[in-house]
Amino acid sequence: MDIAVLVKASLDVNMIKADSEGRILFDSIPLAISEYDRNAVAEAVRIKGELGGKVVAFSVLTWGPVDKRAREIENVMREALALGADEAHVVVDDTILPGDVSVTAEVLSNLIKKTGDFGLILAGEGSMDMMSAQLPVRIAYKLGYPVATFARKIEVINGAVKVTRDLEDVLQVVELPLPAVVSVTGEINQPRLPTLLQIRKSFAKPYKAYTISEIGMDAPEKLFPFDDIKLVTVSRKNMIIEGENLEEIAEKLIDKLIEEGVVRV
Amino acid sequence: MKALVIGNKTSHLIDGLGFIQVLASELGESIEAYGLLYGNQVEEVKGFTKIFSMPDASPEAVANTVSKVIEKVTLEIVVGPAEKNGTEILSRVASVNNMPMITEVSGISKAGDTTYLERAIMGGRATALYGFKTPIAVTVPAKKFKVSDAEATPEFEELQVIDGVTKVVEVLPKEKGAVDLEAAEIIVGVGRGFKAKDDLAMAFELAELLSGEVGCSRPVAADFKWLGEDRWIGISGKKIRGKLYIAVGISGAPQHIMAASDTKVIVAVNKDKNAPIFTFSDYGVVADLYQFLPVFIKKLKEKKGL
Repeated sequence: MDIAVLVKASLDVNMIKADSEGRILFDSIPLAISEYDRNAVAEAVRIKGELGGKVVAFSVLTWGPVDKRAREIENVMREALALGADEAHVVVDDTILPGDVSVTAEVLSNLIKKTGDFGLILAGEGSMDMMSAQLPVRIAYKLGYPVATFARKIEVINGAVKVTRDLEDVLQVVELPLPAVVSVTGEINQPRLPTLLQIRKSFAKPYKAYTISEIGMDAPEKLFPFDDIKLVTVSRKNMIIEGENLEEIAEKLIDKLIEEGVVRV
Repeated sequence: MKALVIGNKTSHLIDGLGFIQVLASELGESIEAYGLLYGNQVEEVKGFTKIFSMPDASPEAVANTVSKVIEKVTLEIVVGPAEKNGTEILSRVASVNNMPMITEVSGISKAGDTTYLERAIMGGRATALYGFKTPIAVTVPAKKFKVSDAEATPEFEELQVIDGVTKVVEVLPKEKGAVDLEAAEIIVGVGRGFKAKDDLAMAFELAELLSGEVGCSRPVAADFKWLGEDRWIGISGKKIRGKLYIAVGISGAPQHIMAASDTKVIVAVNKDKNAPIFTFSDYGVVADLYQFLPVFIKKLKEKKGL
């Protein structure tokens, strides 16, 4: 059974840059593999180890500029390949930037259909940058497949998949017929860092980038593009308590907390 | 505006109604609100015209049933809880009905003639603004939008579940202590700065002195398994909104910071003066927690006359 795994080249949220007026400099923020997508790749590789088949990683570029980002999305996909995916296919196209979750789902579902037949499509529970957690569901409906989200355990049994969903208060175990889409949480496994050998090997694996016309599509209309993104200005006091020794620092801190009305003595 | 609020707890209906009220007052519109409770006792919640009920079911079956209600009542807005099930159900409803969706709305703002729905992105470091339009699906966090006086007394209607292909095989309890971090006013957070599980005793002593709870960063719960996941503060863990958070030996991953950002006062104790957590704190102590915590606890006891 072949497995598709969706990987996002996400803005690296640890590297957010802004100018002096607080405008985010999107083009200067590097792209990185979205955290939970590493878990999705690792899970796909684990299932492949049990059932055979191949693991194909898919992505759509959602942040421009294209000329700069084309290299970055390739690096992200090379990481997925180093983590054990067998090949990678991406769509890089100026006309769909910046991304819109509905458009991304549309493009990915077409790309997947064009590439092969997959029994299982895995994705991270949500992306690091936009965190909408909608994509796995939207793509499932575009493909007409069942879907389960927030999996912390996946078992493939006789043409079905049993998914343990990690909800806030309980674990809900659901069963879906294959083919199906499943999103995974960070708890499902612990992906290892790829070894140098795996990284070297990843460059020999197939990587293919398409425009949307090359997969037979016109630019879909965006369902709900954002109008603006603003930097959150933290209104914390940022006061480092200093003193001659730790006793003095502790006393000053306690006084501050009493002053704030959050500690009573 | 005609709105449907769904959830499996009465509090979900109240949280959703609060959002609808704030939105309607921004837009200067009146409200016709419907509720849908799945898998729970139906209670009367003022402010709803009608409350539908259905037994607990898979997210697919709930979404199918919700879509049927949308068709019948011609709704413009569907609201659900910003929880994992709520996110899946509303993503399904949005997909079926080709609606845009806001996952976890964090605010409503206005500029000129446009009303914007806001949501936190990039680990809480940025806010995305979307010009409000209908139809739309929205998930709403707990207690974010307060309900003002609501008069209407609802009628009730039981719904037939529209099943799908997803089968719920079983529901298992989660390992859980008695800790409810989301309701705690004071939390002492522990992170990788602690070198051994036994050392967490210091944090528990401090929390007890402050009548608070102990929370933790992701590695402490997920990797070291020193504490249960009910104590994990993070976007995928618990979101805290008390009056005081003391982060000890926590560097401040974006997901952790975002989940603590609604706290009134944040204190950070870390030996690395460049730790990101200091940027998100009101008060910082640059010190080794192993040296500072015993002194802090001692001084606190002195002040309390213990």
